[in-house]
Amino acid sequence: MNEKQDFIEYAKEGKILSHKCSNCGNLSLATVYFCKKCGKRGFEDLILDGQGKVETYTIMTVPPSGFEKYAPYAWVVLSLDNSDLRVSGFLPNIPKPEDLPIGTALKVVSFDDRGIVLEKS
Amino acid sequence: MEKVCVLGAGSTKYGKLDDSISDITLQASVGAIESAGIESKDIKAGYISNVFGVADKQVHLGPVVMSNLGISDRPSLSIESACGSGSVSFREAYANVAAGFYDVALVTGVEKVTHTGTEWTTTYFSYCSDFFYEGQAGASFPGLFASMARAYIHEFNATEEDFAQVAVKNHDNGLLNPKAHLRKKITVDDVMSSAVVASPLKLYDCCPFSDGASAVILCNEKFAKDHGGNYIEVLGSGRGGSPAALQGREHLTTIPSTKIAAEDAFNMAGITPKDVDFAEVHDCFTIAEVVDTEDLGFFEKGKGVEAVREGKTKLNGEISINPSGGLKSKGHPIGATGVGQVVEVFDQLTGKAGERTVKNAKIGLTQNFGATGASCAVHIFQSV
Repeated sequence: MNEKQDFIEYAKEGKILSHKCSNCGNLSLATVYFCKKCGKRGFEDLILDGQGKVETYTIMTVPPSGFEKYAPYAWVVLSLDNSDLRVSGFLPNIPKPEDLPIGTALKVVSFDDRGIVLEKS
Repeated sequence: MEKVCVLGAGSTKYGKLDDSISDITLQASVGAIESAGIESKDIKAGYISNVFGVADKQVHLGPVVMSNLGISDRPSLSIESACGSGSVSFREAYANVAAGFYDVALVTGVEKVTHTGTEWTTTYFSYCSDFFYEGQAGASFPGLFASMARAYIHEFNATEEDFAQVAVKNHDNGLLNPKAHLRKKITVDDVMSSAVVASPLKLYDCCPFSDGASAVILCNEKFAKDHGGNYIEVLGSGRGGSPAALQGREHLTTIPSTKIAAEDAFNMAGITPKDVDFAEVHDCFTIAEVVDTEDLGFFEKGKGVEAVREGKTKLNGEISINPSGGLKSKGHPIGATGVGQVVEVFDQLTGKAGERTVKNAKIGLTQNFGATGASCAVHIFQSV
């Protein structure tokens, strides 16, 4: 079993694989093995839409290795619509803060060597 | 539980150093031994913190240090906990001396990375994040803290100039520290006009990549008293954790591990934040110092920037924050930083801090975390 691989496969389709705790109903990303609220193991899969709003972000101008060709790009913390979960991802082609006000609607579009890839919805 | 004391402290200069990682580790260790006025054979165990020894071809530093101190038979522990490695190492030594396993322990932290260059360090340091969600998606550490800074500006009445003030203040303090990496007076304009690294953070909002090593000698109270000489007491020790990725935190402008560690340390010490005369906090980026001073309970949430604006955190202000110059000016050799903070507290509380002395200081605090605060340790010290 590899929780991350399942998460990746859904992200490639623009979906977020979450786990609903069978004991207390708390929702977490599928990469978590135990419920952080009640500590139990045992989840039902819940597939969420990868739609959300920008909660915060940075525009990277001094990138780590492998990202030189994309700079400047944004790394974003996204609050998912219809749940209290957040995911983080890569958003290309954002040269300046005016291009990405907090609250901007984004969606997950894929998952590759840049992690979760986002675009404006 | 034994009362634990810091009996001696030593440090190399922080900056770009030519000597090898094992050389500087030993230089700091010998400095601490000489400062304590003990012999190496008094040391019963060593705790050596380091993150990227691989960059200078030496990991498993513990036995190398012990062997070259002439005590190769003594146990050592080589510890990695990202930028919080030093304070975690200190905590492990503290716990073992407090538990009575050893009467004297050496804690040395070290980092040697400047020869690798900015791309290597930016890339490898990003491995300290929750890589699946953060480093892999192109976030560097400046980027992660920049995201906290943007959230802070959005949520509270704060500006980029406020953060710049933190850098100016810490450079002012660092000018008074002969061992600091960046000894240069700067202005708010200098910060604002420096190159953007990860918006809204600019180069002068960021601490430098540094080489350096720092060491302290811990011992129980009996050894300290029998031995004579200057020592300080550890009043409180706390540790805490946070969700490894920023996305998992309830608030993006609070570091939960700091709050947990601080609560533990203050409870153990039986004091409150108001009793603290000065603090060495983890200002890897200017935003971090503001968040730290709130999470430690020195200022209310959202009021940390006001404190900076009003000069409350300046040397000999209401509470001196980072009299050493902090990570920002003193430098940030990541495996050494947490130990270096204790060196500063020792120097301050034993009258060795020279021009940057916090006047009439009795109680000092250190706070040092790993990554974006995924792990944290807080310690509180008192002069004797």
